[in-house]
Amino acid sequence: MIGSARRRLLIALLFLLPSLVGFLVFTAGPIAFSLAMSVTDWALTKHNPLSDTPIRFVGFENFLRILVGDESHLFWDYFGNTLFLMIGIPIGIAGSLGLALLLSARVTPTTRQGRTMGALWGVALTAISCAGVWASTTPGGATTLAGAAAPAARSTEAGLTDLTAHEVQRSRSRGAVLATAALGVIVTLGLAFGTVFFRTIFYLPSLLAGVALFLLWKTLYKPRGGLINAALGPVLDGVQAAVGATPPALWYAMGLLVWGAGLALCARVVLVGASKLRFGDAGLASFLGRLGLVAALGATVLGAGFVLVQLPARSLLPSGFAPVSRGDALDAAREVASSVPGADAEELRLAASALGDQSRVRDLIAALTGAAGASPESAGVVRRAVMNRASRVREGLTSGEGLAAPEWLVDSSWAKTALIVMGVWAGLGGSTMLLYLAGLSNIPPELYEASAIDGASGWNRFIHVTWPQLAPTTFFIVIMATIGGLQGGFEQAMVMTQGKADTIVLAYYIYNIAFTDQFQLGLASAIAWVMFAMIFAMTVLNFRLGSQLTNE
Amino acid sequence: MAQLTLKDVRKVYDSKVEAVRSFNLTIADGEFVVFVGPSGCGKSTTLRMIAGLEDITSGTVSIDGRVVNDAHPKDRDIAMVFQNYALYPHMTVYKNMAFGLMLRKLPREQIRERVERTAILLGIDKLLDRRPKALSGGQRQRVALGRAIVREPKVFLFDEPLSNLDAKLRVQTRTEIKNLHQRLRTTTVYVTHDQEEAMTLGDRIVVMSDGRIQQVDTPLRIYRAPVNRFVAAFLGAPPMNFLNGTLNSREGGIWFDFADTLPLRMLDRHADALRPHLGRPLVLGFRPSATSESPTGKFAGQGNAMRLEAAVVEPMGEVMDVSCRTPKGQPVVVRIASRDDLKAPGPIELHLDMDHVHIFEPGEFGRNLVV
Amino acid sequence: MSDPATRSRRSFSVPRALGFAALVVLGATFTAPFLWQVLISLSSLTDVDLLTRTGFPPVLKPENYPQVFRKVEFARYFFNSFFVAGWVTLLQVITSAMAAYAFSRIRWPMRDRVFLLYLATLMIPGVVLMVPNFAIVLGLGMFNTYWGLIVPAAFSAYGTFLLRQFMLTIPTSLDEAAAIDGAGHWRVFTQVVLPLARPGLIVLAIFTFLGNYNSFFWPLILTKDDNLRVLPIGLLAFDSTYGRETPLIMAGSLMAMVPPVLVFVVLQKYLVKGIQLGAVKG
Repeated sequence: MIGSARRRLLIALLFLLPSLVGFLVFTAGPIAFSLAMSVTDWALTKHNPLSDTPIRFVGFENFLRILVGDESHLFWDYFGNTLFLMIGIPIGIAGSLGLALLLSARVTPTTRQGRTMGALWGVALTAISCAGVWASTTPGGATTLAGAAAPAARSTEAGLTDLTAHEVQRSRSRGAVLATAALGVIVTLGLAFGTVFFRTIFYLPSLLAGVALFLLWKTLYKPRGGLINAALGPVLDGVQAAVGATPPALWYAMGLLVWGAGLALCARVVLVGASKLRFGDAGLASFLGRLGLVAALGATVLGAGFVLVQLPARSLLPSGFAPVSRGDALDAAREVASSVPGADAEELRLAASALGDQSRVRDLIAALTGAAGASPESAGVVRRAVMNRASRVREGLTSGEGLAAPEWLVDSSWAKTALIVMGVWAGLGGSTMLLYLAGLSNIPPELYEASAIDGASGWNRFIHVTWPQLAPTTFFIVIMATIGGLQGGFEQAMVMTQGKADTIVLAYYIYNIAFTDQFQLGLASAIAWVMFAMIFAMTVLNFRLGSQLTNE
Repeated sequence: MAQLTLKDVRKVYDSKVEAVRSFNLTIADGEFVVFVGPSGCGKSTTLRMIAGLEDITSGTVSIDGRVVNDAHPKDRDIAMVFQNYALYPHMTVYKNMAFGLMLRKLPREQIRERVERTAILLGIDKLLDRRPKALSGGQRQRVALGRAIVREPKVFLFDEPLSNLDAKLRVQTRTEIKNLHQRLRTTTVYVTHDQEEAMTLGDRIVVMSDGRIQQVDTPLRIYRAPVNRFVAAFLGAPPMNFLNGTLNSREGGIWFDFADTLPLRMLDRHADALRPHLGRPLVLGFRPSATSESPTGKFAGQGNAMRLEAAVVEPMGEVMDVSCRTPKGQPVVVRIASRDDLKAPGPIELHLDMDHVHIFEPGEFGRNLVV
Repeated sequence: MSDPATRSRRSFSVPRALGFAALVVLGATFTAPFLWQVLISLSSLTDVDLLTRTGFPPVLKPENYPQVFRKVEFARYFFNSFFVAGWVTLLQVITSAMAAYAFSRIRWPMRDRVFLLYLATLMIPGVVLMVPNFAIVLGLGMFNTYWGLIVPAAFSAYGTFLLRQFMLTIPTSLDEAAAIDGAGHWRVFTQVVLPLARPGLIVLAIFTFLGNYNSFFWPLILTKDDNLRVLPIGLLAFDSTYGRETPLIMAGSLMAMVPPVLVFVVLQKYLVKGIQLGAVKG
């Protein structure tokens, strides 16, 4: 190397200086500082320039308070929420791998000529189908004239009362044309630019993941007027129809069958794993890996069976127990006030609004009955009015009676699932998929050729060539996702539920302790270190299992 | 134009590994010296110490009498051609060549004039606007050469500059480098592991092994009179043959006796040198080209004939290499005039030119007793 | 690649067509929410809840967009986001590149140990650093200032690591050639290593910019004033004040999504390569 050792050190330090200052002040220093903080009772509300309360050394009190003290249920609840949200990780990884496999399967035209032809066909097809959709859905000329002649013609459909039938039909036509055009554009660009185009649009959600995207999903999740429940409606109706058309015994039988098959499969996996362990073909890690697989399989199968058995009960959420929103409660109160003689409108309104967002229809009836004066006859009127209202609400959720679509972000039993669904959607085409794409393109084609000569195809090729070759990639992804998962979930919860509906995760807990509730920096640091210990333990576990599995 | 002196130069890595042990050499002004040796012999390290890219653990390197141990490479007035050419990928050929001159703050006009002159000299004047990526291997090599020449340094350093070229281009460029040196007469140190390159290029060759200089001399003298078995084995292709045996005195001469083939009679002028080693196990060496085929029995008993079993024949044109074996299976390669009717496998009788026979002490670095 | 049918030279086959159909369906799944967002943002407030049944706003209201700027300091949020993310990106790339040069191209005692220390801190979750950094920034008087948003992010152990890995792929003989040509370290850095590390610098710049543009936790705890709010915080505040006005919220969040999309579309090549080189943060 050039120059004397001392001179080199000097030059290196000059180059390093800006970074090193930042490193010491904002990374290395804070780590030590945070450790020190975690054994004090430092809180900004108690210890600040205005008060001279000294900061006390409290030893492990903070840690005990979090983990075993009176408040420990909070920590463990939030930890449970965090783990629950991490269910999305394996789903997302599997999905990303699927996308990567699909993208690298070269299903789009590969030649220049093929692309050009594809694009031309795509444009033509799009134009024709848009024209077709437009022609078949646009209100006919006669209707338009009639509409113009009789502007008072109202839409007969419930909820659309403010629009004329003509307006509704015109909007629907435009919507249909737009959807057709959008689909046509995807087809055309897909044919013209191939996998690059698809990769780009798959990647977009993960690129945008942040407050803006979460606000969008909050809108999509709106129980009424949200896209998701609107899309779910027909699906639930279909299930409902299928359930209604078959005797319940069939569903029970199917549930039992699924359970039986799942049990057999799990048993087989365990037995094979155990025999391999006994004959020394594979290490303990492989056996544990199999147990994990069994657990996942078992849970899936149990869940599927449960759904099948539940279906004949006709409803995932009995309507009498569905929550009502504040708006619904007020509307119901207004109706009761107008239909029960002598009810005080203002009093009813207050009673209804006092119930808040989380109330159930049953509680609402009780409250309104109380407020309207408790004669049995008025109670009947109240019940009818509220149920009418509720069924109209339900109509907004699904079309018709039966399976109710979830109140995604409001209902504690659905909110975490909602966050998982959004997370999987947003992450599916993200960096995981790109890493898998790179991993797939790094598999030497000779391996596939050799396995083809050996007679492997389809599933066998995936299990014996693709999956083992991707093991290092998967290993890396799992580690990064686990670390991210344990730390994550704050932003979504903050934006979409404000921590309501049981969505507080560990990061949110730290935020609450450190930055809202008395600024208890000491306690928050302790929580952060507990979290670090968990991340560290999980990473070590991943490494242990992963390095053994990838070596096999 | 400069004289380059290395005095007791040592290089020790991490105070453990001794890469170069006490290197002493004076390279005269305008001389072309080649460092050659197997990889890891310390030749590149020595070159890099001359360039200032590597600390000198002890000893001194001086250029024109000035000790440059602590001088920055830029202050040593040297130019270097790297094995991978080290062309700046983001600069055009012109900028690559001009970079060093610009850093030395030469006037723009002068830089242009010098770069263009050098480019014409090397036949790369049409490539000046291209980036290295757009050049072939041979063209890159020329640009690297041009970048060194354009600086008009006191000393040229070459670090295996031809090893990334294909065989044909390598021979061609070798000749060109020799031509250039004859025109420019700049002191040059050239490192290679290829003995043929060393032989053809160097005014003098420095054969190195294990951090030590084994021999310094002109190519032909090293070829004809290697000081030890290592040097003898390293230079020349196919390599020198070595056969074990002992020296014995009889019939008024000194004979080299083998276990399994005809004894050879040493030349009388070597008798004094060899007499102290009578009866000791020694190694006899001769180059494949020191033999010629002889009619059966013609030289028998004269002490300059060998009877071997020919195994494989490789015709090269005028000559052919024949891989042979002694009766006990020791391999011997001989180079003889080509003929169609040599039967292999089959017996072959050879005449050995005793002027080109060497006697070494045993061991890899066994001393040559007849030089 | 994995299916023999797709490897055939035929331009059309049933598996290929099915695969393409799957891609189109997935593509629609990933784009539909954004299309929906556009429709909502152009809808009037009274029509929003009916949009699932009409499929298109009966009356288009592009005035929603200027409305966003009138309701809140949206332009200010935009400026703040660009200002903060821009400065952070610039500073972080410079400090990381210099440090990476020291770690990859100068040999000095203790180098690898110091680097290992840098690496070790990458394992510490960001949340652990959040609390003490808040206290430090508070102590430095940078609470509720641009300084507090920019300075702590101006350096990055991760960026240093990324660029070091990148610089290690540049042959050292180039530095040596430059040294012989007469260049000192600063010149080697600026004229040889930096130009050659350009793809790495761009990758780091993109990730830093996008990461900071989306950054949420830190600005949330560090800013109090409305005129210091960056887009994510501004949007959150907008939602909590005007949450019922869905069209406005959607218009605002849609506008906030435009810059990352532009960055991605223009620099996609670098971004994809960067991720595949391992440039992903946990």
